[in-house]
Amino acid sequence: MSTQDDIELPETLSYHDWAAAVREDRLLGQSCEECSHVGGVPSGACQQCGSRDLTTVELPTEGTVHTETTINVPPEGFEERGYQVAVVTLGDARVMVRIEGEHVDIGDDVVLSGFIDTDEDHPAPTFETAD
Amino acid sequence: MTSFGVHDTPMQELFGEAVFAAFDDADVGPDEVEALYFGNAMGGQAENTTHLGPQVATHIGMAGKPVQRFEDACATSANAFKNAVQAVEAGIHDVVLVGGVERCTPETGKDTDEMTRIFASASNRQYEQPTGLTFPGVFALLTKRHMHEYGTTEEQLAHVAVKNHGHGALNPKAHFGKETTVEEALDGPVVADPFRLMDCCPFSDGASAVVVVSDDLADSFDDPVDVSGVGHATDVVPLADKEQVHVTQSARDASAEAYGQADITAEEIDFAEVHDCFTGAEILASEALGLVEDGQGGVAAAEGRTRRDGDIPINASGGLKAKGHPIGATGTAQIVELTEQVRGEAGDHQLDGVERGVAHNLGGDAGTTVVSVLEARP
Ligand SMILES: [Zn+2]
Repeated sequence: MSTQDDIELPETLSYHDWAAAVREDRLLGQSCEECSHVGGVPSGACQQCGSRDLTTVELPTEGTVHTETTINVPPEGFEERGYQVAVVTLGDARVMVRIEGEHVDIGDDVVLSGFIDTDEDHPAPTFETAD
Repeated sequence: MTSFGVHDTPMQELFGEAVFAAFDDADVGPDEVEALYFGNAMGGQAENTTHLGPQVATHIGMAGKPVQRFEDACATSANAFKNAVQAVEAGIHDVVLVGGVERCTPETGKDTDEMTRIFASASNRQYEQPTGLTFPGVFALLTKRHMHEYGTTEEQLAHVAVKNHGHGALNPKAHFGKETTVEEALDGPVVADPFRLMDCCPFSDGASAVVVVSDDLADSFDDPVDVSGVGHATDVVPLADKEQVHVTQSARDASAEAYGQADITAEEIDFAEVHDCFTGAEILASEALGLVEDGQGGVAAAEGRTRRDGDIPINASGGLKAKGHPIGATGTAQIVELTEQVRGEAGDHQLDGVERGVAHNLGGDAGTTVVSVLEARP
């Protein structure tokens, strides 16, 4: 597994950079040079101020659950029922993830555990309880 | 509008039924109508039907007239309505037709899991869909945070379902005409917690349409109702990046714009039709529109304040929950409902003495919201 020291972060963060990082158990976001807002996934401009002066940042891989739900009626392509989806707070950013293992509640500490890519090769980060 | 429910009818015929009712109500025909503002969200995915504009125009005798088609997920036809109102206000047209149609039931040939995936296409393809997120899941995420912030309970959610089913039982056009109880709602299978089956609107087929005319021409029509404001706003998608997931900021921005145009405050609104795709969505909307205080949406529902006999009736039609939710038809169906209520023509579900109503139609995770104010013409 790579560490954040030996990989150069892309100047302009694309989906492909983000997805490649997820496959290496890393999460990339963007910090705005104008207003300091940190976005959890790639965007062309800052959500808060519209600036295009964004710097790619490595997001923490530990955080807390901001909100969550357990989905019992999945869409086509997701065969098993009862999986948990959460929005997790990672430092100054928030990211939507799949939860693996035991059920977590809002406020619980969670840690990156890997990724799934069952949806036409689109990876989604997975987290699990940090306890 | 057509009845909402299950229709084994091609979209142009379903739309035609709603349009001809609107034409007859306004006593106009295709010759006088200058343009169609048309909503359909998912015909391409659900029925392999795109470029529907001229196809429905042909069916209603309007081929040759300009048609613009809108797609904003569940806010599709409210966006069509906004653009129609603005075009008429700007003097581009004097008489236009606005409406929408959608088929979402298994009559399309799509089963629940296929339609659940089609609905999920309104969430972000790269950063949300791969988690297995569904639309009940989207509103579950927003509602769970609201429950955490304010102590909103599953029982309060159930009260919204009970209320809207009770209202729908009075509306012959509603998909569901049966009342339910809090106990029954809380006993249903979980779809995406905290939502059980009774917290979720159904897959419906249906169509709706209205005629919009200029202020100058309005008095030459029978029983016109004024559109005094239409606000429209978007919010960040994916939802993780929204500043606060439970506030539905686009509804706050759109309602501020609409109330400003109408020169009113929320206290001056007599009744509302809000986008209750899920019970939690109604609670968030009632707060975002200023109809109840922040954090009090669940309490207000449980106390009966939002019932048809309460101080601020919400979804007297049954709402999406009981009336049904044919995606692209929902926005203009709310406009039909407001019009009939203000005219006093809503039949068994007529509210007493209402003169001003607000319609709230959202798309996706409230990435889009359109809020419209309609009132009796002075
Ligand atoms: Zn910024």
